[in-house]
Amino acid sequence: MTQRLPVYLDNAATTAVDPRVSARVMQVLNDADLYGNAASASHAFGAAALAQIEAARVQVARAVGCDPGDIVWTSGATEADNLAILGVAQYYRERGRHIVTVRTEHKAVLDCCRELEKRGWSITWLTPDARGILDPQAVAQSLRADTVLVSVMHVNNEIGVVQDIRAIASLCAAHGVPLHVDAAQSVGKIPLDLRGAGVTLASLSAHKAYGPKGVGALVLDHRSGVHLQPLVYGGGQEKGLRSGTLPTHQIAGMGEAFEIAAREQTDDSQRAAGLGRLLAERCGELGGVWRNGDAASGVAQIVSLSFEGVEGESLLAAVRDRIAVSAGSACASANQEPSYVLRALGRSERLAEATLRFGLGRFTSAQDIDIAVQSVSAAVRRLRKIAGFEQGDAAESAAARRAGAP
Amino acid sequence: MSAAPDPYSELTQRYFEQSPNAGILQGLGVGSAMAGSEAAGTLVQFHVQILQQHITAARFLAFGCPHVIAVASWLTETCVGRRVQETLPENVHALQRRFEVPVEKMGRLLVIEDAWIAAIRAAITKSRAALD
Repeated sequence: MTQRLPVYLDNAATTAVDPRVSARVMQVLNDADLYGNAASASHAFGAAALAQIEAARVQVARAVGCDPGDIVWTSGATEADNLAILGVAQYYRERGRHIVTVRTEHKAVLDCCRELEKRGWSITWLTPDARGILDPQAVAQSLRADTVLVSVMHVNNEIGVVQDIRAIASLCAAHGVPLHVDAAQSVGKIPLDLRGAGVTLASLSAHKAYGPKGVGALVLDHRSGVHLQPLVYGGGQEKGLRSGTLPTHQIAGMGEAFEIAAREQTDDSQRAAGLGRLLAERCGELGGVWRNGDAASGVAQIVSLSFEGVEGESLLAAVRDRIAVSAGSACASANQEPSYVLRALGRSERLAEATLRFGLGRFTSAQDIDIAVQSVSAAVRRLRKIAGFEQGDAAESAAARRAGAP
Repeated sequence: MSAAPDPYSELTQRYFEQSPNAGILQGLGVGSAMAGSEAAGTLVQFHVQILQQHITAARFLAFGCPHVIAVASWLTETCVGRRVQETLPENVHALQRRFEVPVEKMGRLLVIEDAWIAAIRAAITKSRAALD
């Protein structure tokens, strides 16, 4: 018997592969002429594979607003973040050892910077405001003579806020410092024009935009003159920046996914905006519900809500059979770690834990939102009742509840 | 596709989902007490009624993880009819085994124990006062 699956609302973690993309991937896999190694372009099989890869390079470049020659294929955005940050740091280590980044970055960026910190680099960790937005002037003020890189994500993966990359890039350029942008969450959610914005390096991922997992890219604006030290050595593929035989079918899939994402971005975002508004408004009727991030300027596809009066692990346990969402903490055990993003925005540990991130996507329906609202509302009401939250704390004082019973 | 692996035992799941005896209790011989705090992630309150040296009813309120809610709920059900004792009906190690509570969560069971014993003491006092 097939078990009824929960409604999928975790599209910020990963998206389903669009059927048009999977068709393209299968076409490349099944085509008897396309199994060659793109590095062996001296014969017809290699040349045919290379042609597929170069076509995808053009598709991706058009979707994100860069030159096809700027694209370095990687295994995903995590590798791209590593290549950008560690690659720049290593290449310019004699020039300077200072990097500027933000506390609310993706772990791939944070952990690279922490590793560099261990190795002796100095990292400036900027904090955004309560909406999650970074003041570009804070970046400018943190730049030093020995700064070799600034890394700021475009769309935050937990709360969906969008940073003013154009302004930050302009300030970085004025100081001659390259800007790296993790744009893994941007594609298909907002228009992207990396060159127009003045971004030096950008990390991209296919599977956040209805493409296959295991493929991504680092965009390096070759006009910038910025160099990287590779992390992977071998066959010298990708201009020596990322050795390894290229996965033709995955790259073709990424090209197709990005072309579709750019073409359908407006429609996708408008649909998601309507559904996200409905979700936030109807959950808001519960009272004691906080929306994280600046909803007005954030992407429509990410809705992060914190619920007062419920404990995070119980909230997730109460909804997990009906909806697949991400929580504000990793709470499988007592060693709960509240979201560092939400904590950086000033949310209390308890409220950060009682947070659900709803990732809406191209295939999310109004019925899915109905199910989510019903499920969350029922769970929150029940858990609040069990906690005595709705009984006005009649038995004991509210102060004791918050501060700790004697 | 199979469902996600369940981090909770069947017993924990059942008492978490149904949570019998959630609420408060008032009346003759009822004592209540709480332990823990929301800030620390676990807050438990018990209301226990003691008449003629026996527990006749119990309710609970809990802000906590599914294990905390399930154990608190089970205690309020299990205790009814028992002769009063200033201990849990089952010690925390037995409760840990019964509900398959991860060892890292032992501290939460101790919060339950503190609230339970304090509530029993309060109920004993109320029960004696009722007799006077």
